[in-house]
Amino acid sequence: MAAFEYRQAEEIRDAFARHGVRYLFIGKSGAILLGFPDTTQDADLFVERSPGNGAALVSAIRELGFDLTDAQAAEIVRGKDFVQLKNGPFDLDLVFAPDGIERFADAWDRRVDVEGFSVCHPDDIIASKAATNRVKDRESLPRLRAFRDYWASRRQD
Amino acid sequence: MAETAIWYNAGVESAAASQELMAWHEEFEAAARRPLPLRVRYAFIKTYRPVLDDEPFRAFDRMADYRAWCESALPSWLGYGRV
Repeated sequence: MAAFEYRQAEEIRDAFARHGVRYLFIGKSGAILLGFPDTTQDADLFVERSPGNGAALVSAIRELGFDLTDAQAAEIVRGKDFVQLKNGPFDLDLVFAPDGIERFADAWDRRVDVEGFSVCHPDDIIASKAATNRVKDRESLPRLRAFRDYWASRRQD
Repeated sequence: MAETAIWYNAGVESAAASQELMAWHEEFEAAARRPLPLRVRYAFIKTYRPVLDDEPFRAFDRMADYRAWCESALPSWLGYGRV
């Protein structure tokens, strides 16, 4: 499978908007949209857990070309905490309960719009990575925190 | 003597941290000058990750289940294990 492309980010944004899916880019993919210069493999989406949003999400990702069985679709609608999709045109991680963030609504209120993309605030991305406490996150956190400070200072200008 | 060495090492570390921060800021500035599509093109890469990339679909009831699976099933060098 090829790397995730900007065109595919646009397709997510547009398909999710058509279906009314409430979601935020999170993780390093979210940070990259905010301007963080780094590399990653997957797009990570923080999705609001509700039956209606889950059903809309399934419709949207099927429209994007993900090949879901009915059983898999049901797991997504139920809002399992973490779903990893590699059965479509690109890899996609769906996170319904990221570590370090209490409620979707709080993250939604703090979201940042980047050219039409809804992205978690850098503080939420950092909180999530810090709470996860993985080796790979621990290595990138100091640089991500420095970016958060840089990003905040640019916003004030 | 020991105190001098500690002071010297702290100074060296502080200077190194400051230099690292300056280098990061230069990278942030450079990224900010790039249009979003170009930033995305530079950022997303694809390399094969054993085990992780071997199934088309996985779902975990709880994040704790996913974290436990990462620790037990994935090669440690992928970095998904907890510190």
